[in-house]
Amino acid sequence: MSTFRRSQNQANPNKLNVILSTLIFVLILNVSIQIWLLYAALNNALDNNKEILIPAFIGSLILFLIGFGWLYYLPKGNFRNNTYKNN
Amino acid sequence: MSKEDNLRENWKKDFPYKKQESTQVSRRDFAKFLTLVSGGLMVGSGLVAAKAYLLPGEEVVGEHFVCQIKDIPLGGTRGFVIEGSTIPYILVHLESGMFRAFEQKCTHLSCAVYYKPNSGIIHCPCHEGSFDALTGDVIAGPPPRALPQLEVVLKGEKIFVKAFQNKES
Repeated sequence: MSTFRRSQNQANPNKLNVILSTLIFVLILNVSIQIWLLYAALNNALDNNKEILIPAFIGSLILFLIGFGWLYYLPKGNFRNNTYKNN
Repeated sequence: MSKEDNLRENWKKDFPYKKQESTQVSRRDFAKFLTLVSGGLMVGSGLVAAKAYLLPGEEVVGEHFVCQIKDIPLGGTRGFVIEGSTIPYILVHLESGMFRAFEQKCTHLSCAVYYKPNSGIIHCPCHEGSFDALTGDVIAGPPPRALPQLEVVLKGEKIFVKAFQNKES
């Protein structure tokens, strides 16, 4: 049976290279947004504006879950396993 | 084999890591690390929200005596602390004759601020932040928020402070 993982492992290294770079790009984007959310939440908390705190936390949580799920698509790079199989 | 060669081979056996392998971070590990940072930021946001809702800062209750009007000249300031609290405040006697009381901690990095006589500006010397001495609003510099303010109440010759009520609302 062909699975996502198997086809990914058989993909051209150039393709894996692009996938990995894109993953990292999106993760950096997520982390940047989270830093901004944390900064805004902290400033508003110190200014006694509580309305923004829960939405900022939920936004941060969603971004984390996206990033965590994103890791599933990380190429495993089991180049070594393939060579073992070939031997 | 000479003694030196023998030593060289042995330490390599004991420590079988190549320099390149130990210093290089793979992109895979970097992606995982970014996700860890993301989780940390998420927890941080949660803690900020939890702190604000579960442990709110104490507000000033009631009126507190600071000093007599004659103790503080025009353009002068006086530092004070409210009983039971450690937050430092300054009472400013503006050149217009009005009194204002602000927290003495800059909202940027909590340096002690002071009033610049004849300028109407409360100044933070650490990073050149300036606040309006009339309202506490930021005029210049890195502070992100206005200075927290107390309301000044004059009763005869005595000066009292109490929690600030926003007059606009």
